[in-house]
Order: sequence, then C-alpha cells, then structure tokens
Amino acid sequence: MNDHDEDATAEQLPGRERRRLQTSRLAQYLLLQAMIAGACVLALLQSLPGPPAEYQVKAFNLTEAGVERAVTLPYFSPLRNAMNDPPRFTGQFVRPAGEAARSWSVFLPRFTNGVEVTVNDVVILDSRRDPAANRPDRNTPAIAVIPASALRDGDNAIAIRLFIWGPITGFLDRIWVGPDELLRPTYDLRTLVFVTLPVVFSSWQAILAVILGIMWVMRRHEPAYGVLAAAMAVGVAQAFLQTPMGETPFSRLNVILISSAPLESALVLTFALLFSGWKWQRYGWIFFIPGIALALGGLFGNQALSRTLFLVLAVPMVGISLVIMAVVTARSALKRPNVASLLLGCAVTIMLTCWIADLLSVFQMTPNRIFTARLSYSVMLVAIGAGLTWRFARALNQVDGFAGRLVTQVREAEEKLKASFAREEERARAAALARERTRLMRDLHDGLGGQLVSIVALSERGNGSAGIGDAARAALKDLRLVIDSMDDIGGDLMLALGSWRERAMAQLRPHDIALDWRAVTAQGLPVHPELRPWHVIQIVRLLDEAVTNAVKHANARRITVRIETLAGADGLDRGCITVEDDGKGFAITSDGAAAGAIKAARGLRNMRSRAARCGAELELSSCAQGTDRESHQGTRVRLTLPHRFPDSDGAAG
Amino acid sequence: MNSLNDEPKAEAITVVLVEDDAPTLGRLQDALTKAGYQVRAAGTLTEARACLAQGAPKVLLTDLQLPDGHGVDLIRETRRRFPDTEIMVISILGDEESVISAITVGATGYLLKDAFPTDIAATVRDLVAGHSPISASIARFIVRRTQNTPEPPPGPALNTAKLTPREIDILWGIAKGFSYAEIASHLGLSRQTVPGHIKNIYRKLEVHTRGEAVFEAVQQGLIKL
Repeated sequence: MNDHDEDATAEQLPGRERRRLQTSRLAQYLLLQAMIAGACVLALLQSLPGPPAEYQVKAFNLTEAGVERAVTLPYFSPLRNAMNDPPRFTGQFVRPAGEAARSWSVFLPRFTNGVEVTVNDVVILDSRRDPAANRPDRNTPAIAVIPASALRDGDNAIAIRLFIWGPITGFLDRIWVGPDELLRPTYDLRTLVFVTLPVVFSSWQAILAVILGIMWVMRRHEPAYGVLAAAMAVGVAQAFLQTPMGETPFSRLNVILISSAPLESALVLTFALLFSGWKWQRYGWIFFIPGIALALGGLFGNQALSRTLFLVLAVPMVGISLVIMAVVTARSALKRPNVASLLLGCAVTIMLTCWIADLLSVFQMTPNRIFTARLSYSVMLVAIGAGLTWRFARALNQVDGFAGRLVTQVREAEEKLKASFAREEERARAAALARERTRLMRDLHDGLGGQLVSIVALSERGNGSAGIGDAARAALKDLRLVIDSMDDIGGDLMLALGSWRERAMAQLRPHDIALDWRAVTAQGLPVHPELRPWHVIQIVRLLDEAVTNAVKHANARRITVRIETLAGADGLDRGCITVEDDGKGFAITSDGAAAGAIKAARGLRNMRSRAARCGAELELSSCAQGTDRESHQGTRVRLTLPHRFPDSDGAAG
Repeated sequence: MNSLNDEPKAEAITVVLVEDDAPTLGRLQDALTKAGYQVRAAGTLTEARACLAQGAPKVLLTDLQLPDGHGVDLIRETRRRFPDTEIMVISILGDEESVISAITVGATGYLLKDAFPTDIAATVRDLVAGHSPISASIARFIVRRTQNTPEPPPGPALNTAKLTPREIDILWGIAKGFSYAEIASHLGLSRQTVPGHIKNIYRKLEVHTRGEAVFEAVQQGLIKL
C-alpha cells in the first residue's frame, strides 16, 4: 500500500529543503481543505425550497407535559421521550371556497421522531408506520392527502401529535397545508435527496463491499481492503434493515442498527490508518470499544438505555474517527502526494464539516434539523471508489511497464548470452587449436624437424648434393610456416607477416637480395576477427611464391613489400600487400598466365587459386626490362584482401 | 657479412657449443670456426659441463634435448656461475615452447639449426656486441601473454608483469615485422636504444630467485597459498 516512487522527490532533498517543501505542501493542503469546508458551510446554509408561503400554517397551540402555550414552528422540544403523552400541536387553516375540486394535502418536511396528523378529528397520517420515517438520522419528509370528506370550506382544525423516543430531542419543522399539486414538488425533491439518494449510495456501498471483499480474498496481505469491505457491509446492513417499533421479539436486532455507526466509523478509521501505512496493533481494538459497548447495551439493556448510550458513545466516536482520519490523511497526503490520499482527505473534510453541522443542529444551535453527516458519507464512498480505481489503473500501468521492461531485459540478456556463448565457443576453439599446435610442434620438433636438420647438415658435407639441402631447408621453412600460421594471432595479419618477413629475409640473404619493407599506413592492415589459420597459410604461401619467383626467375636485386590499408569505393577498408621486384619481368599472356617457363606459369596459377580461396584479388603486372623504364620495371604482385574473409573454402578453383 | 674483418680479436672469443646431432654439431662448429671463434664442442650434458669447467666462455650455444639431460639445466647453471656469458639456444623450429623456457632461465634468443653459416656467425657476433636477437614469433608470444585472458594460453609459463608499456610497444613492433629503426621512429626513441630495451626485456622475463619462482608459480596458479 506504499507508493515509494512518489516519496523519492521529497526524500532525496537535504533536510532544510525538505522541510521547506513540506511546509509549503502543508499550507497548500490546509488551504484546499479550508476552501472545501467553506464551500460545504455555504451549501449547508442554503435552505431547501419550500412550497408557497401562503399555505404555511404558522400559529399553533402546543400542549406539552400538561402546559398549553402558543408556539411558532419550527419547534425544538426539550423532551427526549414522549410516547404516552406526546406534545400536541393544534392549529387552524383556511380552505378558500371553490377549492373543493382540488385535492389538499398536509406536508411535513421534517420531524423527529414520529407524527400523527389529524384534520378535523380525522387521522390522516401516522408516520410510525413508515420505517424509513422512523429513522431520525434520515430527514424523511411526510405528505398526506386530506380526504375530501374531512375538509370543509373555511376554517379547518389541524392537530399534530409528536412522538419522541430518542435518542435526540423532538423537533417539528414548519407545516404546509394546501393543494397537493403545489406541495408535492417540494416533497418529491426532499424524498429524492433524503430517501432515494441514500438508497442509491447504499447500493453503491453494497457493490463496494463485494469488490473490496473479493480484493481482500485475493490479496490477504492487504488487510485494509478487508477492513473496508467490512465497513461497507455494516453500512449496507444499517441502511436496508428496517427499524421495528416497540418491544417486539425482533427489537433486539435493533442493536445492529444502533451500534452500526460507531462500528462502521471504527472500521473506516482502521482502513484509513492501514491505507496510510500503519501496521495493525493490539490497541487498535480501542476503536471498536464504543460500538461493542453499544451493542452489548442494546442486547442486555432496554431500548432507552441503548438510545442514551448512542448519544454518549456513537456520536463522539464518529467525530473522533473523523478527526483522526483528517490528521492521518493529511499526513499521508503530505508525505506521499497522490490522487487517492488527496481524495480521501477532501472527503474527510466534507464529512467532518457536516458532522459539526449535525452536532450544532442536535444542540439546537441551527434553525433547522437536517442531518447531513450520513449523506456526506456518500462523498467518502465516491472518493474511495475513485481512489481504488485510480490505484488499480496505476497498478495495471506499472505492470505493463514492468512487463515491457522485462521483455527488453530478457531480450538483452538473451543477446548477451548469445554473444558470450559465441565468444566462449571461439575461445574454446582457439584453446583447442593452441593445444593441438603445441602437440604438433612437439611431434615435429622431436621427429621430422630433427631429421630435416640432419639432412641439411649432411648435404652440406658432401659435394653436389646442394639440391637435397635446399629441399630439406624448404621443407623446414614450410614446417615453420604451418606451425606459425596455427598460432592465435587475434585476426591481426601483421603478426603473421612479421614472422614471414624474418623467413623471407633469411631466404634472401644468401642471394644478396635486399628486402625493402614498407608499412605505408601506420597501423598496417585492418584487423580481421574472422581470420583463420588456413587464410594465413594461403596468403603467406602466396607471398612466398612471389618472393621465390623473384629469386629464381627474375634475377632481382631488391624486393619491395608494401603494406597498406586502402579505403575502397564502397567505404570499406581493405588491406593491400604489394610485392614488387626490380627483376627482368616476363610477358603475361591474355589469360593472365605467364608465357614461357612452365614452372613460372604453374606458380602464377597457384597464386591466383590461393587468392581466390581467401576472397582476395590478385593483380599481376610485369614488364620486360627496358620496355617501360619510366613507370616500373620487373614484376609486381598486388594482393587486395577482402573486407571479410570467407568462412569456408568454397571459392576454391 | 664478413665477420673476420669486423672482429680483429675474434680468436679471443670462446664459444661452447652443445649439440647431440653429430652432423648439425659439425656444420655449426665449421661455421663458427670459419668465422674465427674458438669453439669447444660437446655432444652431451656431461661433456658440456666438462667444457664449462675449463673456464667461462663468452658464448654458450646449446640444444635443449640432450641424451643425458635437458639444456635448460645447463643454461641455468651457466647463468649462475658465469653471469657475463651470453647464452643462446639452438632450436629446430624456433618455436616458443623451447625458446621461452630457455629465456626464463637466462638465454637471450635462439639460433635455428639450419641457419646458413654466415647467419650463424652474424648472430653470434651481434650477441657478443650486446644485441640480443629476438624473433617476431617470440615477440608475438610474449605480447600475447601481456594481454589479459581468462585462462593462460598453453605453452611455457611466463611472467610479463614487470614489462613496461614501452617495452610492450617495442615487442608489438617486432611482432609485426618492423625493423628497429621503424620502431624507434614510431615510439620516438633513438635507434641505438632499442637493443638495450630488448636485453632488458629478456632480463625481466628471467626467473632469478627461488622467491621469484614461488611468485611465478602463484601467478600461474600452480601453487595455492
């Protein structure tokens, strides 16, 4: 039930700033509540419209406790119980001549607790038979049509007996006697406001009780909903159970109704406390003591006792609950400003104002006796409904947001996992390759390598076997290349070329050929994470072939190796390795093969095939010495590496 | 390439040559003798120790696989007894497996068994002049060990923690095939200082003491404290 997110703004501020913010919030809140209370007072001061004044019966003689005197209505009786000898009001009204065709009525807008109306000694109304009218907390009006036979032109006598049975003192509002069609609209309006509307709200309360009950059943860890559901249920019972008059066998049921108000207010108070983050404590039962005491009083005492207790226990309990709720909701509205708290706070203010007004009218400090506290309770019901709906909608939004975030996070995690899996696989592959290489190296070192070295040494001893030595040396060189290319160079071809440069220099030194090494771009070649050992072998052998050609066929004195990164037309960087010699060159036939020496032709074909397998482009140009002295002479092999090396050896051919 | 002209006092330079394959020993000895070095040849570890007992040589060239032991032990002993002796390992393939293990006990560089006689002489001459040779593949092996990987790549143990960023840069340059002059100009160094840096690198990779060996073992996860 906490809205932590809204705390954040206030709690991150330093102390002084926070106090300032709290103060300004408190001022705003109190101002709003004062405005609401003011509006309430203004509304309460408005009197309901009455029928035409000419039909009001003003002068009455009151016989009360054996004393007769003249009074004007409205009249507050000091009595709390007058069933056997009720105060009797007698008066006169005039029906003009010619009104016989219209039906006349007596309209009593407000009385406590019951009335019996007699016109010309004919009883036309006994409100005690109407259960709704017997509830002093409802401002039930009464209207009665005077039978035509009982009326006469001119003066008519009207007598009203006011039955009082507590818990409050008796009251009789003004009385109108006149044509039914003129009185009834006012009656209907009062019935709508004071009878129909409460029934509608009680239905709403019943629905709320069901909704909250379900919510509590589904979410047992939020007892606030259960408590509120109980409060609503008590309210519904209070509204729809009828009050039996007199000491009937069912009259003991009255205790439910009598104790409902303090019970309901205790429940609503508990809800408000739980809602604002309070944890249920054992002393919380204190709230329920008045209600339970009242119920016990009703069960074991008589009606008079329970009615007396009602005034002492129930009314203050409602007031105290309202005051505590006002404080609690104000605090929670300050600490966590949100729609639900604010609505609840405003509703409490309205109820509190109405409760004070009711208290004033009970103590006869207002000219009328219209009870509004129960009616204003409906405002709280609306606030609770709106607050719950708001909270529900917000929770749904949060769930949506959470689900969305979750989906994104899961996707991200999945991608990370995939990437990490691929990395792990790559690492495992590299490790396996490295292990294999180490094993192979040991094997070659112990076996083949040593034997080849022996061959080289032996061939140098004898005469005329230089060819064998060369072959053995070439085999050793190739062995080193194979092992070297299996090393994990992390896609940096420059690392492979570094070793190649050493081997090439060792190869060229006996022939007195200089190797000119030029890394034109600072970084050399682009890094290719997809580079595999077999790519490296193809490229290095291709370069070896170019150098070997220069040594064997071109009579070159100098070989230049250029390494650079070229920005291609498509915006992608490509590495480029150029091997150039200053030898005599050769003619290239139209199909790109070298004319002449079959061996050289085979070498060129090999180079093309190797380039194709790596997805690289091979460009050969050769000028026979002296034909094109200006541009360059000799042979140039230009290898343009692909932007991405192919995965498989599919391009072989 | 002709070392005879460059080294007037060549006869004063003694080389102990240890190689078990007789033809190879012969051609290496020929190459060095022709270049004017005084060569004491040995075919086994025992013979080599006997050669060393005669006095400190200027240069020790040794194979690793010997019939009666391992060259690494010989290098360690020599390094301890004759700190001024330059040591090189003779390798068939120039593979890091053998070369790095030799470097960690005090060798500075390697010589390929099938190298041409002139190259053999030139390498020894450079070594005596204080230029420790380093190959691209060995430099590559070292710099790849300086990169942090979750599990150490297979091969001999190597502690690169003492190398400075500059030395690592130099190794990268060598691994990528750049000459000393190119590396010096890239890094804003004098060309002459590069060989000194390389010698330092060798020294830093060497495991000197027992304590260091323990540290090494802990670093490599061989010992758990």
